[in-house]
Amino acid sequence: MGGNSDVKLIVDGKRLDGRTVDELRKIRIQAGIVPAANGSAYIEWGGNKIICGVHGPRECIPKHGANPHRAVIKCRYSMSPFASLEEHGRSGPSRRSVELSKVIREVFENLVVTEEFPGTQIDVFIDVLQAEGGTRTASITVAAVALANAGIPMRDLVAAVSGGKGGDELVLDLGKLEDNFGQSDMPLAFSAKDKKLLLVQMDGLLTKEEIRGIIEMCEKGSEKIIDLQKNALKEVYEKGREEFKL
Amino acid sequence: MERKLILPGDKIADGKHDMPYAYFENGAMYATLIGFIDETGRYMPIEKPYKPLRDDIIVGVVTDARHAGYSVDLGHSSGGFVSSRFVRTRLQLGDIILAKIRSISETGGIMDLGDVKRLPQGKIVRFPTSKIPRLIGKKSSMLELIKKYGNGDVVVGNNGYVWISDKSDIPKIMKAMKIIDDKAHTSGLTDTITQFFEKGE
Repeated sequence: MGGNSDVKLIVDGKRLDGRTVDELRKIRIQAGIVPAANGSAYIEWGGNKIICGVHGPRECIPKHGANPHRAVIKCRYSMSPFASLEEHGRSGPSRRSVELSKVIREVFENLVVTEEFPGTQIDVFIDVLQAEGGTRTASITVAAVALANAGIPMRDLVAAVSGGKGGDELVLDLGKLEDNFGQSDMPLAFSAKDKKLLLVQMDGLLTKEEIRGIIEMCEKGSEKIIDLQKNALKEVYEKGREEFKL
Repeated sequence: MERKLILPGDKIADGKHDMPYAYFENGAMYATLIGFIDETGRYMPIEKPYKPLRDDIIVGVVTDARHAGYSVDLGHSSGGFVSSRFVRTRLQLGDIILAKIRSISETGGIMDLGDVKRLPQGKIVRFPTSKIPRLIGKKSSMLELIKKYGNGDVVVGNNGYVWISDKSDIPKIMKAMKIIDDKAHTSGLTDTITQFFEKGE
C-alpha cells in the first residue's frame, strides 16, 4: 500500500478478478439466520463471509458503563483464526480488530435511536469467517441488516463500500490484492436516505480530485448495496407469510 | 392506500404526526423500524422492543429471593422486583409468576410488581411483544382456541413471555404460536389456526 509495486492491477481495462473499475464483487445477504439472537444477518461479499448477531437492548454490564440518557452500543469485530493467510491461528482482540470495532460502533451510534433505551446496552457481534479484503465495509453492511432484523429503531440504513487507487486508476470495492498492492484505499459508509458519510478512512495518498471521484463512485456503489440489504430484509417477512400455506 | 412493507428510513407520512418509532425530518415522518403501512395509512412496526407500562400483566421467573423481596426476570433490560409485603406465599428461585406492574421508575429502571400469582410447572416461551394482540385475539378468541385444542393452560404476559402448562400439548401449541408469529400481519388468522388444529398440519 502506498508505494508503487510491480504487480499489474489493471490489464486491458479489467481488474485481476475480471471486474471493470466501477464494478462491485458479488454480494449475497441473508437476514435472520440465527434464531437464538434478537437479530442476525450473514453476508457473502466476494470471498468475504461474515456473520453478525445482535442482542439487546439489555441490562448494561458492567453497570458503571451504562449511560442514563441513552443506550450504549457495544460492538465486537473478530476475525476467526482461519479467516485468511495473515491470521496465524489466533483470534483474540488485536490492534486491528479493536480499531474496527470502534469505527463500526461509531457508525451505528449515529443511526440507532439510542435515546429510546436509557441505561441499556446493545451488543453487535461480528464474526469474520473468511476474509478477502474489505471486511470492515462488509461488516458495517451486514450489521445494519442485523440491527434492523432485531427490531432496534434506526433512523436509516447504512451501506459501506471502499474505493481506492490501484494501477493508477480509481477503482471501486478493492479486493485483497488491490488492498495490499494498490496505491490507496478509502473505505466509506453512506446512509441510505440522505447519503450522509458515516465512515471515512484512508490509507495511502490521493489528490483532492481523486477523493471526489472515489466518493462519487462509492455513493453509486452503495445504492446497489442498499437495494440488496432491503431485499434481504423484505425476504424475511415475505417468506414468513409464504412458508405456511394451509 | 395499499398495504406496504416499511424499512428503517422509509417515508411514512407527510407533515408532523405523533407516531411511535418514527421521527420528523424535512416536513415528513420517517420510520425507524421494519413495519407495515395498513389500508388507513397507519404505521405498525412488526417487531419492537417491549416498553413496560403500568398495569401490564407480565409473566416472569424469580431469579433472586431475599428477605425484602424477589427479583424477577421479565425479558426486559431492567428486571422486576416484588416486595415481600405483596406476596402471601413464599416464592422460590426459579418459580414462574404472573404479576402486574405497579410502578415504573422514571428512568425505566427496576419495575415494582404486585398481584403476584405463582404458576404451576410449565414452560416459558418467548413471543414478539408486538404480536401479542394477535396471540390473544378479539375477546381472547385465539387464546381460547389454543387452550381448547392444546388441552391445557396458556398464560400470555405483555412482556412477551408465554407460560404453557406442563399438562398441555406443548409442541402443538408452540407450532401454532409459530404460525401466529409468521402470519401475524395477515387477516383471517383465527380460521388459519382452527384449520391447523383440525387438520393437524
